[in-house]
Amino acid sequence: MKLRKLFTPESVELNLSSESKDEVLKELIQLLGLDEKSEAILFKTLKRRENLGSTGIGKGIAIPHCRSLVVNELRLAYGRKPEGMDFQAIDDEPVHNLFLIVAPPLEVSNQYLPVLGKIAQFAKDPEIPAKLEEIQKPEEFLALLEERAP
Amino acid sequence: MNSSTSPPDTMHPQLMLLMELQDLRSQYRELEQDEGAAPVEEEHFHIDPAEAREQLQAKVSELEERLDPQVRARYERISPQRDRVVVPVINGVCYGCFVSIATATVGDQDVHQELQSCENCGSFIYVVS
Ligand SMILES: [Zn+2]
Repeated sequence: MKLRKLFTPESVELNLSSESKDEVLKELIQLLGLDEKSEAILFKTLKRRENLGSTGIGKGIAIPHCRSLVVNELRLAYGRKPEGMDFQAIDDEPVHNLFLIVAPPLEVSNQYLPVLGKIAQFAKDPEIPAKLEEIQKPEEFLALLEERAP
Repeated sequence: MNSSTSPPDTMHPQLMLLMELQDLRSQYRELEQDEGAAPVEEEHFHIDPAEAREQLQAKVSELEERLDPQVRARYERISPQRDRVVVPVINGVCYGCFVSIATATVGDQDVHQELQSCENCGSFIYVVS
């Protein structure tokens, strides 16, 4: 599964406005275009995952993720916080790039874990943060995925 | 989405609880399997799967205590694994059994109403608008 195919320009926000971890999770959730009830459930589930250990994996990257019954297919969103924010990341550094991954409880195609691994791989590529910083339009983000995560 | 962390007031609080429970169980189940999330969570996120399962289980037990007795009895009866306790209804179709549900039962579920379930498969339902 190509990562590019899992994002749309609507699921990309290059200027996140939130300042706190809770608010930024909500802002990312909104990129998925769910109804309000579903957003509330998903927020709780993502928070519970964060309570097990931050999904801020270091080097300015966070990958909040969970399975939730509020989606019926794998859904992804990307948000950028150019000035960085505190996400209680494992290296205590500010987070700039956030990838949200939400999968249904059961998937026929079992894409969730491979995609989670792929996103982690992509984000950890030492050249990627600088490239993400340069992006001006959601379409450029999609093109970068196409190029670096074929 | 409003900025408070409380659920939207149009949602039945017991339904909210059931949905949270099912999500917690999904995370738990996946951390149990060797081919599941455990290795990924360990490698990329430095999570100890056994410890994480313990935390999730504690939260599940806590939320189960908050279910009304009748709801809890049904919750325990519906599915031994409780992986399909609550299912969405989309365009009038139950996503637990893929059978159309009579439109009369697919109204808005608010605090003043009873919890609804699918007459065909027995799952609790929530209507996706
Ligand atoms: Zn059904």
